[in-house]
Amino acid sequence: MKFLDKILGGNTLYYPGCLTKFVAKDLEEKYQKILRQKGIDFITLSELELCCGSPALKAGYQADFKKTAKKNMKIFKDHGVTRIITNCPACFMVLKKYYQEVLGKDWNVEVEHITQTIKNSKFFGNWKPARPAGGLGIGNSNRETVSYHDPCHLGRQMGVYDQPREVIKSLGYEISEMDLNRKNSFCCGGGGGVQSNEPELANKIAQDRIGQAKKTGAKILCTACPLCYLHLKENAKGIKVKELSELFNFDQDKNDNK
Amino acid sequence: MTINRQSFWDQDTKTGLWRIVLEYQDKRSKALDKNNLKEESFREEIYQVKSQALAQIDQLKKQAVVNLEANGIRVFEAKDDNQARKIIEKLLEGKKRIIKAKTNAFGEIDQKGFLSDKNLQETDLGDFVISLLGEPEAHPVLPALHLSPAKIAQAIEKKYQKKVAPTAKGVAEFARGYLRKKINQAQAGITGANAITADGKIVVLENEGNISLVSRLPQTHIVVAGFEKIVPSLKEALMVVQASAIWGTGQDWPAYVSIIASPSKTADIANETVIGAQGAKEVNLILLDNGRSRLIEAGFSELLHCLNCGACLNFCPVYHQIGSHYGDKYLGSRGVVFAAFSASFKKAKSANCFACTLCSACLENCPAKIDLPELMRKLRTLLEKEGLQTRENEKMIANIRQFGNPFGKIEAGKIPKELYCC
Repeated sequence: MKFLDKILGGNTLYYPGCLTKFVAKDLEEKYQKILRQKGIDFITLSELELCCGSPALKAGYQADFKKTAKKNMKIFKDHGVTRIITNCPACFMVLKKYYQEVLGKDWNVEVEHITQTIKNSKFFGNWKPARPAGGLGIGNSNRETVSYHDPCHLGRQMGVYDQPREVIKSLGYEISEMDLNRKNSFCCGGGGGVQSNEPELANKIAQDRIGQAKKTGAKILCTACPLCYLHLKENAKGIKVKELSELFNFDQDKNDNK
Repeated sequence: MTINRQSFWDQDTKTGLWRIVLEYQDKRSKALDKNNLKEESFREEIYQVKSQALAQIDQLKKQAVVNLEANGIRVFEAKDDNQARKIIEKLLEGKKRIIKAKTNAFGEIDQKGFLSDKNLQETDLGDFVISLLGEPEAHPVLPALHLSPAKIAQAIEKKYQKKVAPTAKGVAEFARGYLRKKINQAQAGITGANAITADGKIVVLENEGNISLVSRLPQTHIVVAGFEKIVPSLKEALMVVQASAIWGTGQDWPAYVSIIASPSKTADIANETVIGAQGAKEVNLILLDNGRSRLIEAGFSELLHCLNCGACLNFCPVYHQIGSHYGDKYLGSRGVVFAAFSASFKKAKSANCFACTLCSACLENCPAKIDLPELMRKLRTLLEKEGLQTRENEKMIANIRQFGNPFGKIEAGKIPKELYCC
């Protein structure tokens, strides 16, 4: 296996992150399907890999974080991993930015958020839209509108604003932006350990964000982060909260050629 | 640790706050345009001005002290709040009528009972209103933003038996009349400073005009400011003024900028210099440390880039829920970090260090590019070393250590209920 890795130039790991892997499991399945459909070869390590260390880092356990990063690096090396794709913005930020910071040049794994992978794949846009555009793609009368919530770790902290939006549009949805979007996006309230440390505060923030989304008139609030998704969903009233992968229509699997 | 239920703002207040901050956001872009400034490059310039000044702050401070004193301004360096209060008490000995304009540094050293025998009168309209209602300040630039004109007018009527129109104008007109009398009778005036130059000038900006009066009309003027306000020259000071206006109130330039280089003086008669013409006879500057040196030593000096514009709060999700309950002497995450070094790590914890979602909206809105989420995260590592963790975080880290994930033992087919995640 190791020998083969070297010939092929290393493995691409799909790293769902703890929240997706253990809590929002259906998202993991969906993302694996999407990656396959996009022609991306990847491996998974399921329980062999550890938490990326993001909660430890953000709660102030610097030594634990460094230990976790070192252990993960070894696990990744043992499996010939040279590229990681994750759907979790917190893992994305931590693996890309903070692993580099604590591991230095020993860390030479490429890290991508899955929306970047999808956008850059040569099969981008070949997924049959769940909501076909009106007529011959002229006029938008039939398109369902979605409001997109920028996860803080993906947007403000890593500068990924466009790719999720482009993926949503490629699926045939119209985006109706909230007043607070992109760099002025309003946090869902769940990050930084606040969901567990200050649940009431976290819920109130989420409810305000839900209110902002409802003002756009969209029926769906979509985000590309499992934490934002779970947290907003728990606090949603009068609007459906969906994770990006849930906008893909999987019924067409059979008809789809890669 | 949980936030007290009474700490949350009600829906009306929150709605009002949003209206104001969104208007400010809009005004900010217009003010940048009017000054022909690009937001990103101007922020970078301010960052450079402040970080370069802080890198040589000891030297700049020495120069400033020498030059200010040569200009006839007395300088007192105060190690902590206690020392600052003692210096002020000494300067105010025998004086009974004191007025004050906006100074956040004074708020930093103020204490219950301090100057209670001095008839201390607030002259900033927002501060005047919140002191009247006994409310905490809701924002460093807009302390009374959570109060409606009707509520304020009612409070004025009750306290001063004076009918006031329940409008912003009505309140402002009452304050103009009432405060003018107080200002005319005052023996000493206290203000802050937005910048101090190493060549010996104190720069202060305002819109109301009260700072000009407070600093000039009484015989004694006392300036309270942190030493981080020192920049090399007027060039940098005026950049600070411009950024403070743009990010603080969305103005391209404030109504007034005072540059105070000495006490008032004249040489009109026989070319003989006489100190004390129409302005203040004595100008005193209290340069505060109060934890700032500790902050720099611990690697948090970026916090001292702060211009006190309050823009970091405008899009902060925590501030939008609990207002002044987030932070300590200063509001928001900036106040939390400051409390750690001016008071104690324990204070930083109770100022809600663990309520920050690390969302970075503050950084995005900071003219001086202070990476507050990173400072908060670093502060948490220090709290952790001091044994000041939260119960939930302790559970989370135990799970990571034992099971390699934050949730604990994962049982087949079951979804963890307690989610300690990022």
